[in-house]
Amino acid sequence: MSAEESQETRNEGKQQVIQADTSIWRGGLSGSICLAVVSFRRLFRSRQTIVSAMLLGFAVMVALAWSMRRGRTPEEFISQILIPVYTSFLLPIFCLCYATASIAAEREEQTLTYLLLSPLPRPLVYVAKYCSSLALALLWTMGGLILLCQVVGDPGQRTLAIVWPTVMASTFAYVGLFHLFGVMFRRATIVGFAYALFLENFVGSMPGIVKRVAVSFYTECMIFDSAAIFGLGPAGHHDEAMYLPISAAAAMPALWLIAAATLLAGIVFFSRHEYSGTS
Amino acid sequence: MSETPSLCRFRRVSKWYGAVIALNDVSFALRPGITGLVGPNGAGKSTLIKLLTGQLRPSLGEVRVQDVSAWSAAARSYIGYCPDADAFYEEMSGRAFVRFMARLRGYRRNDAHERSEAALQQVEMTDRADRKLGSYSKGMRQRIKLAQAIVHDPDVVVLDEPLNGVDPVGRAQLVRVFRQLADAGKAILISSHILDEMDTLADQVMFICRGRMLASGTLEEIREMLEDHPLKVRINAKSPRELAGQMLRLNAVRGVQLEPPQSLLLEVERPGEFFPELARLAAKEDYEIEKLEVVDASTEAVFDYLLRQAGQ
Repeated sequence: MSAEESQETRNEGKQQVIQADTSIWRGGLSGSICLAVVSFRRLFRSRQTIVSAMLLGFAVMVALAWSMRRGRTPEEFISQILIPVYTSFLLPIFCLCYATASIAAEREEQTLTYLLLSPLPRPLVYVAKYCSSLALALLWTMGGLILLCQVVGDPGQRTLAIVWPTVMASTFAYVGLFHLFGVMFRRATIVGFAYALFLENFVGSMPGIVKRVAVSFYTECMIFDSAAIFGLGPAGHHDEAMYLPISAAAAMPALWLIAAATLLAGIVFFSRHEYSGTS
Repeated sequence: MSETPSLCRFRRVSKWYGAVIALNDVSFALRPGITGLVGPNGAGKSTLIKLLTGQLRPSLGEVRVQDVSAWSAAARSYIGYCPDADAFYEEMSGRAFVRFMARLRGYRRNDAHERSEAALQQVEMTDRADRKLGSYSKGMRQRIKLAQAIVHDPDVVVLDEPLNGVDPVGRAQLVRVFRQLADAGKAILISSHILDEMDTLADQVMFICRGRMLASGTLEEIREMLEDHPLKVRINAKSPRELAGQMLRLNAVRGVQLEPPQSLLLEVERPGEFFPELARLAAKEDYEIEKLEVVDASTEAVFDYLLRQAGQ
């Protein structure tokens, strides 16, 4: 074979590889949409939905009981219901339920092999699974917030208008984080639960700047900032001098940054990791 | 056989987990036909399969499928994998599962439908595919796993213990499918611990133990390589007693056992030396040898011998 012929063959080979890559990404897009839809359906029909419904039902009853007393204010609703019950507990739990189960359950049930064996590029597999759990988490966090705010009446409705962007950004951040846990840890739900209950609440309440590692800190800062119109700010154990809050203008980008960084980290980890024991 | 292009190739592949070596300097090429992968538990079969299917990356060496790295997404288009684990999306029907696998492979709805129907037909599950996977027998689940592995018409099909738990009738049907795939020019790698299956099923066998490839090739080729492997040879002759006396004079014969009325069973130490001697005797004396057969040329016998040698 002459040098020209071998160069031609090499070029043809490269061309074929480029074409194959392009078709993989094109076919991958339709495959990943199908994966996202199937994952959404499976997650929705899972026990996570039952747990979420029970927790939300319990929270609604607590809120109803709270709203029985007359003259409740938005400030009271935020400090007595929204922050302790919803943003510190329910919000991370809703996200945890779906985000860790998304890939960890496939791993546990050994069906992850089928996804890893498909020609879908791994980043697309990750993004498809992320989208399905994010959609469900948003359904619960935003739906739960609306329901909670509606059942308590006026204080809730006035609060809803100012806190929904915070809840949405926090949902993105938590889902990104717990999804990352799902691909990193074998027992992701337990790790995620320990993180949500211990790190978020314990570290999030510590004085100084250590709490800045917790997502809940940014969520609360945003709520305090937007609820300033109701005269609410860090008080009691949220003493401003100890709490060192940051402004909503800084907290909002921080939440979106956490969401983007954890999503990216998850994609990179999932793409490079060898799941030798998918069992 | 060597002229047929290889569909995938292991080149000096080693894989270790921490300090444990799972696969040690393994090289081979898979060509069209059925190749059996045989080895005891912990031999490295699963690691080899995971490397081939792109679930693991080699620590050293390279694994290529149709000349692309097995780790790449492109390589997975060429491979169909039927895992050992009995894992499914249990809430789906067999048909929905195979169709979902086709969709994951990038086929549009109509194409996925056509391909999944063809694959179900090939494994003879068309009429039972609408039932939930959770209600299937083990044999039916194995067929559905096979259907999802071949739904995209791959060049290489990797089957991990595909006949486990399948009844004899089901086995025969599955073996027929494997043979059809091999005849269509596909490379089929079957990992199995049931060695008897390999005798009739595999065109080639790879023996693996402690992460090393002990031998690979057709059973005959491997036997030829093992010149010092003792053989059991049964001879039917008109006068077995006289022949037994002659046989005992041969240095290559370790023992003779008479099997009335007309057979004798020889334990031969050096086949390479024995067979020419026997031919010379048969030509010289009139023993009227009616039949000669090597009785322990099975996969199991060869594998036992190889294991003993590896142990030494």
